[in-house]
Amino acid sequence: MDLLSRLSPAALRILALLAVLAIVVIFFASQIEGYLNGRLFNRISSSVAIMALIATGQTLVILTRNIDLSVGSVVGFTAFATGSIITKHPELNPLLLLLYSALVGSSFGVVNGLLVAYARVPSIIVTLATMALFRSFLVEYSNAKSITSDSLPTWLTDFPNLPVFSIGTLEFRAGFTASLVVVILVHLCLTRLRPARALFAVGSNPEAADMAGIDAKRVVFVAFALSGLMAGLAGFMFLARFGNITVVAGLGFELKSVASSVVGGVNIFGGSGSVIGAFLGAILVDLLETSLVRWAVVSEFWREAVLGALILLAVATDTILSRRLTKLRAKKSKEAAK
Amino acid sequence: MWPESLRPRPSRRIDSMTANLAPTLALRGVSKNFGMTAALTDMTLELFPGEVHAIVGENGAGKSTMIKIMTGIHQPSSGVLEVDGAPVVLNGSKAARLRGIAAIYQEPMVFPDLDVTENIFISATSGLFLNRPALRRKACELIARIGMTLDVDRIASGLSLAEQQAVEIARALSQDVRVLIMDEPTASLSAHEASELRRIARDLADDGVSVVYISHRLEEVFQLANRVSVIRDGKHISTKLIADTDPQTLIAEMVGREVGNYFTKMPSTATLETLLSVQGLRVDGVFEDISFDIKRGEILAMAGLIGARRTDVALALFGMLKTSAGSVTYKGQPLKITSSRGAIDAGIAYVSEDRRKLGLAMALPIRWNISLATLQKYLTPLGLINTHAEIATAWDYKKKLNIRTPNTDIAVGNLSGGNQQKVMLAKWLNMAPDLLIVDEPTRGIDVGAKAEVHALIRAFTAAGGTALVISSDLPEVLALGDRILVMREGRQMAIIDHADASQESIMALATGQKDAA
Repeated sequence: MDLLSRLSPAALRILALLAVLAIVVIFFASQIEGYLNGRLFNRISSSVAIMALIATGQTLVILTRNIDLSVGSVVGFTAFATGSIITKHPELNPLLLLLYSALVGSSFGVVNGLLVAYARVPSIIVTLATMALFRSFLVEYSNAKSITSDSLPTWLTDFPNLPVFSIGTLEFRAGFTASLVVVILVHLCLTRLRPARALFAVGSNPEAADMAGIDAKRVVFVAFALSGLMAGLAGFMFLARFGNITVVAGLGFELKSVASSVVGGVNIFGGSGSVIGAFLGAILVDLLETSLVRWAVVSEFWREAVLGALILLAVATDTILSRRLTKLRAKKSKEAAK
Repeated sequence: MWPESLRPRPSRRIDSMTANLAPTLALRGVSKNFGMTAALTDMTLELFPGEVHAIVGENGAGKSTMIKIMTGIHQPSSGVLEVDGAPVVLNGSKAARLRGIAAIYQEPMVFPDLDVTENIFISATSGLFLNRPALRRKACELIARIGMTLDVDRIASGLSLAEQQAVEIARALSQDVRVLIMDEPTASLSAHEASELRRIARDLADDGVSVVYISHRLEEVFQLANRVSVIRDGKHISTKLIADTDPQTLIAEMVGREVGNYFTKMPSTATLETLLSVQGLRVDGVFEDISFDIKRGEILAMAGLIGARRTDVALALFGMLKTSAGSVTYKGQPLKITSSRGAIDAGIAYVSEDRRKLGLAMALPIRWNISLATLQKYLTPLGLINTHAEIATAWDYKKKLNIRTPNTDIAVGNLSGGNQQKVMLAKWLNMAPDLLIVDEPTRGIDVGAKAEVHALIRAFTAAGGTALVISSDLPEVLALGDRILVMREGRQMAIIDHADASQESIMALATGQKDAA
């Protein structure tokens, strides 16, 4: 058996995404002088470090046929709350601080989860409301003040940029590496743990999940709680990276996280997708955004429009590519059967 | 009237078992009310190990409610459930599964995004980590135990209905099933697949499982079951050994009245004028060399197994499949149809086999569905919909077709299967078509509604219409078809006159045991 027929459809999807990423990089490298360098990698990796966490949580929710639009506000609130705690208690243990962020984030997720799973309000309504609500909490809590980076301990603001290891000229910094580790851990849990299968089952066929004795409510609840948890961790990263936190922190992250997941091949109708895909989706969206800024051909007025068009193009290419690969695989395995 | 092959099989001595054993599962005086309506009243039923216990009753008789109580989805309003003689409370399907009670349905409950192995072990509760190689091996064993061949790595969305059911049975087996409830399992299967499924049910019973078998196909009840219970209007009517009853008695008990001509063929109303003539029709890679005529007023039945490509022939005539060769003559003129719109304009209607996907808009009111294909008839000069005329038509059909509903504004999805089928027929009859193509007209609907649908199709042809009926139900093919076209794997095997046709001869052609004449 050759390699192609041994790969699962999910793996083919990842392969197609990687190909699209390569095409984008090659295209911009031919357009922009001095495009390919360590700085580009650092810029994208430090931004993806935050978005990858949010998109991972978003993926868990989308898998169950729901959506979490409150994550941007949760990131903002957690970043601010974490910042104000460490400002007041600079001696706080780093792990305890991280735990605090996780707790704040998951408690928001729990609220979403209770409303969606047990009060049976559609998730788009619940999280649209909590998006506004959590943002108002932030405005109220912050008292219109900001967190500034000089009030934060240096270990926190230095952490994202600590070099961990490097491949050639590409330097992997602590923030990105940590986020990558989380994504891989979640991926392993999703694919290897028995209870995780319920997430796919509920999104794939809720009725059948019910008949199979799966507690769909609990599954949806847990997905939202985990999405909150991931947004909380992202809030911690956001604080560490930027240092300066205002009431608009994390604004717009909800749509970007949905875009990352969907570009990464997560089915918006639930049931299929992977967090690795969402991670690559986040990279693709960020890569396009960053590259467009440097591409002189596009004026800044048109940048958003071109970004939208390129995202569509990337998704289309990826879909066609993975469909072709799947077909080719089916053909190969048929031939092998003969 | 019953062919040799369909005679009741000799029963095992279930009556002697009942004396010695506690029933695996029993309902004792179970009632279930939904608000003011009583879905089940004082139901009593005992299931013993090793028996296939058929349950028959019209749609709406309370069978689904009973299954839902047995599988823990509903709680009885009064009465008790007993497992091995001890009363139990089943709160939720998980509790039922833990006691070894599982159900499979006409529309299988699989997870389209997961593969076969994952589908089989989705309800497993032990162990935190998935041991993929071990599960895969166990999945292969389970599939082999039910005598199927199936690639356990395949994603479920590509599986046929029969394969999806096999997955569900394997899932039940993986949990040491003791009571397996099969709800209309063969309704959507071809004859061959259905007989495979019956074999599996029999094997499971011989292994000591209590199989509850719910079916509208009485001939399979008599082939398979040891005992049969009839329920009507939520009440238990009778439980008998299969040898102590016969189809007529059962039907009478089910409907509470005699249904005379369910299986009886009515005289043909065919005229001499040829309405449609098909010559050497072909769609590359799908079917080839299909040639037949239909006379005005005639009913031509198309028989065959699933995969015989009968539906594709219908879709080609209806303009939804592009033909690669052949000619169609319609009303004496050559006909080239390339879209469903063109077919409708030419007076050809196609009633799909899949009510849910292709036939009806389930969330929309009955009258919207009925006027959907002929909406231009209801437009006022301003281009608005004339609601009065629409309602009048809907009521007209409600009366003519005996659609049981208080009014025509109810969403179609709330009706029973039989009534949904009638709404679908109304939608196309409203077009006043010259040629009505009906695909599986009575799939999954009860005997009473079946007889009504048959009468409708006959009335349509008696009034000058022409019908092409595709059916996998052999008694239906024989009850309706003036002539019968048998297909097998995309080829036309034969066209038989009704007088020369029997279930055996059709089946021999459809399975390829007998070659095309």
